[in-house]
Amino acid sequence: MGSNDSNQQHGTATSLRELARSVTPPRDLWPDIEARLAQERAAVGGARRFGSLRPSRGQWAAVAAAVASLAIGVWLGRSTLPTAVPVSAGNTATATVAQGEPAALQAAYVSDPRYLQQRATMIRSLEAQLKALPQQTQAQVGASLATIRKSMQDIQSALGRDPGNALLQELLVNTYQDEMRVLTAVHEASDAGEEI
Amino acid sequence: MIMAVAISGAEQIDWEQGLVQRARRGDTHAFERLYREHVGRVYGLCLRLTRDPAHAEDCAQETFINAWRALERFETRSSISTWLHRIAVNVVLAKRRRFTPKTESLSDADEPAEFGWTLDTPVEVGEIETAIAGLPEGARDVLVLSGIYGYSHLETAAMLGVAEGTCKAQLHRARKLLRDRLNVEIG
Amino acid sequence: MTRTHSTVVAAVLASAAAIAHGAEGSFEQRVAANAAGVVEISNVAGSVQIAGWDRAEVEVKARYDADVDRVEVTSNGGRTRIRVVVPRGRNSRSDADLRIRVPRASGLEVSTVSANVTARDVTGEQRVKTVSGNVKSEFAAHDVEVKTVSGDLWVRGKSEPASVRLSTVSGNVRLDRGAGEVDAVTVSGNLDLDVSPARSVRVRTTSGGLEFRGKLARGASFDAETISGDLSVRAPAEDGIEFEISSFSGDIDNCFNLTAERTSRHGPGHRLSGKRGDGSAKIRMRTMSGSVDLCDR
Repeated sequence: MGSNDSNQQHGTATSLRELARSVTPPRDLWPDIEARLAQERAAVGGARRFGSLRPSRGQWAAVAAAVASLAIGVWLGRSTLPTAVPVSAGNTATATVAQGEPAALQAAYVSDPRYLQQRATMIRSLEAQLKALPQQTQAQVGASLATIRKSMQDIQSALGRDPGNALLQELLVNTYQDEMRVLTAVHEASDAGEEI
Repeated sequence: MIMAVAISGAEQIDWEQGLVQRARRGDTHAFERLYREHVGRVYGLCLRLTRDPAHAEDCAQETFINAWRALERFETRSSISTWLHRIAVNVVLAKRRRFTPKTESLSDADEPAEFGWTLDTPVEVGEIETAIAGLPEGARDVLVLSGIYGYSHLETAAMLGVAEGTCKAQLHRARKLLRDRLNVEIG
Repeated sequence: MTRTHSTVVAAVLASAAAIAHGAEGSFEQRVAANAAGVVEISNVAGSVQIAGWDRAEVEVKARYDADVDRVEVTSNGGRTRIRVVVPRGRNSRSDADLRIRVPRASGLEVSTVSANVTARDVTGEQRVKTVSGNVKSEFAAHDVEVKTVSGDLWVRGKSEPASVRLSTVSGNVRLDRGAGEVDAVTVSGNLDLDVSPARSVRVRTTSGGLEFRGKLARGASFDAETISGDLSVRAPAEDGIEFEISSFSGDIDNCFNLTAERTSRHGPGHRLSGKRGDGSAKIRMRTMSGSVDLCDR
């Protein structure tokens, strides 16, 4: 079967079968599809996870939906945020620089209450869960979380100067997802230690 | 639970069936791979049926979301591409029924043979696409599915929810209209 | 064999596997197993070595420390379970070294805390999870998932299409002779990936670096993102590449003699985009402050 993309198809044809069957959409539709899937999965109780016996399906569903909502929030935010404004003397549109973690989250493009609640719960549990892990792992996880938090601060600081920067917005969302992945990995790992 | 799949050394790995199995377990990364593999053909079909890029985007999105919901019912021996096309056609028809009353009807026509859809003279691709886009809905639907995507009369009729005879009649009509618009013979 | 009978057999096998407390020791057990069943293994500390063989049996040999309570081996309904049981709170001498042979087409589900895992000659789906244990796997499976928090991963394929998902927080990842789909993510570990032909590659690091070498298949997609790590990608593609690289403050290098354009007149930000050949394979990379180096030869 021909698979030429019609975006590139030129010239003549002597059969309809020569017409391109594949046409690339003008934009990537996956982010919207993914967000809808996450909502649906949350609605039906979440996806099964490899090997996890302990984490509740409701918790996973909440995490997935919250992170998806965060992604949607940022994606929507991109289309409504002002374009970059040069910071100069007399320009009152200055950066909202993160002052502390809760303030940073408010100032950033995170507005989903489920995400904020879920994140707070997991951070509160983090210390106890880390204690169930080997010593060296505790230190390495701590260092990785510190790396992620530093990255968040750096990105938010840059966004403060350039709030419409799509690249920084995307990196920030993904960094929050990284943090959630680490918190989840610690949660799973501490359960694994208890189960085994 | 995860089931082992016996793989012999001589057996070819069926890519997409593996992705479907993972997607059924809730793996959206696997589903994304299916999306990336098939979105071009799905969008291409949607675009030709709806003739509008924005509607075609909606159609393609709905197709993949409906496919996700229907993963459990997908028969792994079938072609994923055909399955997605069936879903896409259903999406297009459902939207049309919502917004456009059906007005066209066909008189009985002799059943034509299957066409090869070859033109006796080369024609600019853009001209062919324009002519197809200008066909009435019923004729365009069957021509796109049969003429471009290669589905048989039976498959096309099943996708569109019409009798095979109606499908053949529409194809006959599509061929005649296309011939007149492009001023070529179509075999 | 009726279900009741097989349950009784499984129970007898389990009791036969019990070990007395307080003494170091060794253990050996062999059970009948489905040729394409699932073997589930859990261990806390020590090691797990798995090899495939041509018998419809699972063989377990173990050497263990004094604080190991028992090694359980049960087999029921196509699933064989091997579990090292260590009483809670008594972890100081709880290493168990397992040598396991499984039917070659078995699927594997392995879970350890700090035990290292090695696997070879097994063609079923592999799911391996450790907290700090290292993982070394030579796989012929079409579906492999390895996750660790701080362990290092070394995975070697047979250059045959597979779906490989590798995840660490701080461990390093190395994939040799991969092909097909690869999804690799780490926070601070380094990624060294060799994938040919690659149909889909997704990579994410926060501060770790990426070295990628591999031929991109027609229509392949390659997506890599880092915050501060460095990305080095050598990706020839028969049908050409179409690429877009975005960086906030990191350098963008390439072998195409192209210069990245600024994305903002007043602040940092660069982008490099273009097409080589038919542009069939799509490459997208993003970084905040790391450097990116792309070449298609």
